Amino acid sequence: MHTLHIVSKSPEHPRFRECLAMVDTNDAVLLTGNGVVALADTSIEVPSPLYGLKDDIQARALTPDSAQCQVIGFDDMVALTIQAQRVISW
Amino acid sequence: MSQESCHFTLVITGAPYSSQAPQTALGFAWAVVASGHAIDRVFLYGEGVHLASALSCPPSDETNWTSAWGEFLEQHSVPGIACIASALRRGLIDPAEQQRHELPASNLAAPFSIAGLGEWVEGVMQSSRVIYFHGGD
Amino acid sequence: MQTLIIIDRPPYGSWSGRESLDMAFSLAAFDQPVSLLFVGEGVLWLNKGQDATGIAQKSVERNLKAAAMFGIESLMADQSACQRFSLTGQTLIDGVETVENLRATLRRYDHVVFPG
Repeated sequence: MHTLHIVSKSPEHPRFRECLAMVDTNDAVLLTGNGVVALADTSIEVPSPLYGLKDDIQARALTPDSAQCQVIGFDDMVALTIQAQRVISW
Repeated sequence: MSQESCHFTLVITGAPYSSQAPQTALGFAWAVVASGHAIDRVFLYGEGVHLASALSCPPSDETNWTSAWGEFLEQHSVPGIACIASALRRGLIDPAEQQRHELPASNLAAPFSIAGLGEWVEGVMQSSRVIYFHGGD
Repeated sequence: MQTLIIIDRPPYGSWSGRESLDMAFSLAAFDQPVSLLFVGEGVLWLNKGQDATGIAQKSVERNLKAAAMFGIESLMADQSACQRFSLTGQTLIDGVETVENLRATLRRYDHVVFPG
């Protein structure tokens, strides 16, 4: 993986769109906090591969399609930040 | 595990009770140490400095993020540093700054300390990863 | 370690951009390579002729004019955002390089920092 993009902003925040425009091939996106709202927003075309933080998804009673989003815990988040050559927090 | 240990600097820019940043960062921090990696320092910047206030007093059925973070920092001997410029602007004061600026009180919670952006620069230069935890607004 | 500090919020209405600027100046003071990139409404930081005395703040234009002198490697602005806010060669402060391809620009840096 080249860049892991961590997105804590909801889809209506301008930075959410800025981020999606910057996702490159070999990048991955991790949704945290308000970012997981994207999983419920049918107007959004989410990038791939996409990860979402389990606690944030459960808190909001979201049920993402497993083909679309991989639900992960903090231990996986740590592993992703180490695997990536670079991490950008949006 | 043969995997080489990774050194993190965490930067928190979102305040407790106005963002999830301190909670997400704490979940991440526990997972870092549980997986055998290290945290060099936690740097509070901008609104994030409110996390180090000894005077935040949430209702008893809500998490006190200052104490929760204090416990982690103490248990793992990780320095928790609030940026001095961000802190002074927002009324987060240690006894030395209280004296220097002749202020009526100080309110920095243990084990946090106050220091300059040089601490962050050192993280950028020396840690293998600098991870930022921003608010959601 | 090449750092890129991105400012995507307009000036004066909030402090996060100012605090991003402090980060850039701080890296430069420690001789660490750092550049600034203004995107979206953030390009208004680069508008010439700012006078913040009426709102009792320091002009950020003056800070940015000193950026090169303090060792910040480059000031860059997203070209499409400049067009959107009608910023041209005459209205942009001096020394700003406009960039067309943000994705390619971001790729050149190994450490990218947004305001909180």
